[in-house]
Amino acid sequence: MKKILAVLFSAFLLMTSNAKADINASKAENFIKDVTKQGIEELINSDVSEAEKKARFTKLFNEDLDLDFIGKFVLGRYWRTATEKQRNEFIDVYRKLNIQTWSERFNEFRGKHFEFLGTEKANSKANDQVYVNTQVPMPEGAPASVKWRVKDTGGKMKIVDIIIENVSLAITAQKEYTSYIQKSPNGIDGLIKDLKAKLK
Amino acid sequence: MSKFIKLFYFLGIVSLLCVRSAYANTEDDSALETYNRAMFNFNTVADDYLVKPVAKGYRAITTEFIRERVHDFFENLKEPASMINHTLQGDFSDSGNSLGRFAINSTLGLLGTFDVASGWGLTKNKTGFDRTLASWCVPDGPFIVLPLLGPSTPRATVGMAADTLSNPTYWADYYTHFGDKWEGYAFYYGITALGFVSVREENLELLDNLTANSVDPYATVKAAYIQNRLKIKACAAPDEEQTENSYDFDFDEEFDE
Repeated sequence: MKKILAVLFSAFLLMTSNAKADINASKAENFIKDVTKQGIEELINSDVSEAEKKARFTKLFNEDLDLDFIGKFVLGRYWRTATEKQRNEFIDVYRKLNIQTWSERFNEFRGKHFEFLGTEKANSKANDQVYVNTQVPMPEGAPASVKWRVKDTGGKMKIVDIIIENVSLAITAQKEYTSYIQKSPNGIDGLIKDLKAKLK
Repeated sequence: MSKFIKLFYFLGIVSLLCVRSAYANTEDDSALETYNRAMFNFNTVADDYLVKPVAKGYRAITTEFIRERVHDFFENLKEPASMINHTLQGDFSDSGNSLGRFAINSTLGLLGTFDVASGWGLTKNKTGFDRTLASWCVPDGPFIVLPLLGPSTPRATVGMAADTLSNPTYWADYYTHFGDKWEGYAFYYGITALGFVSVREENLELLDNLTANSVDPYATVKAAYIQNRLKIKACAAPDEEQTENSYDFDFDEEFDE
């Protein structure tokens, strides 16, 4: 009897997941729980060497962040006019620069933990995105709010934006890059060159 | 009223007069953008050659314990502003909380250098005139860069100037040196300068990290500042919460013009 119920239940699950393309909010939340627990709390507080930490962080970053997607967004309207080569080069350097920036910054989270506050609908045409709301208690004052924008990329959850204290990394980067390209005489190529110069 | 305060009121009022847009997240007009970028560059140079070295020096000659005492001392001086503004915003229990904190920490907390009130359940809940203005539906105005003080908006500037007036060190000097020339305010300026250095020291890593890998630090700081400002609850507007991060990643159509 139990088996039959289980089969029926899983069939039901399959049906609903097929019928509805909408992102599963609790699945997204569990995904962020895994990322923050294994990726941040355990990794930062573990005793492994800095090099090993960086290697693990890089892996996590590549697997759990949809940097192709984010890169496309941050280039804004210039993505449309960019050539295939420029697009690839930009995504590549953007990925490397982000890993560099964040592996320098992740110690900011040392000794901190994330509290989960539920999910919230994110504005997306395909209904494939959701916000996972978290907060990080601070030594004094109000906790810092950290929102994760999660996208369902065909079953695999990916982070597409992190919003810390209302500051979206994707929007901030988009403003930076579009403002730069507007002023730069060399356009996207100038941007790619200057971003490469930032890599260590 | 000291020249310092006069300057800030002047700045604030002038900027309020030239507010043309209700929200700070509209695009810069080019004259303002030119001024902002010039002032941002000036501040960066001043920071690199003066403020940052002083903040690093301060870190070098003090222990974390001492810096925490200095931090708590300055935080305590802001309690009167919180008390007044909680009242103006109609939050009377929060106002009482600030009053209690100020009374306890100024005495038992040794002039505010220890936050003993937090241990008694009176947790810190800061507010200021900027938030009061927001609750009164005063628009934020455009993004402006102030000399040395950095990113701001007209409303934030007015709020900061008003909060200065409720700072006890300002009044301490005001009463003891009433009618003096600005030298009479040496104590106040000294305290203000130390507070400035203390805040800069606390933000050494944060500000470095924010702009370290940026190809346009001004654009980065401006974008981050404006988004962070939107966190302040404005009057009414029930859908405000929704609009703040309602961007759509399916941007292909968005730019299809």
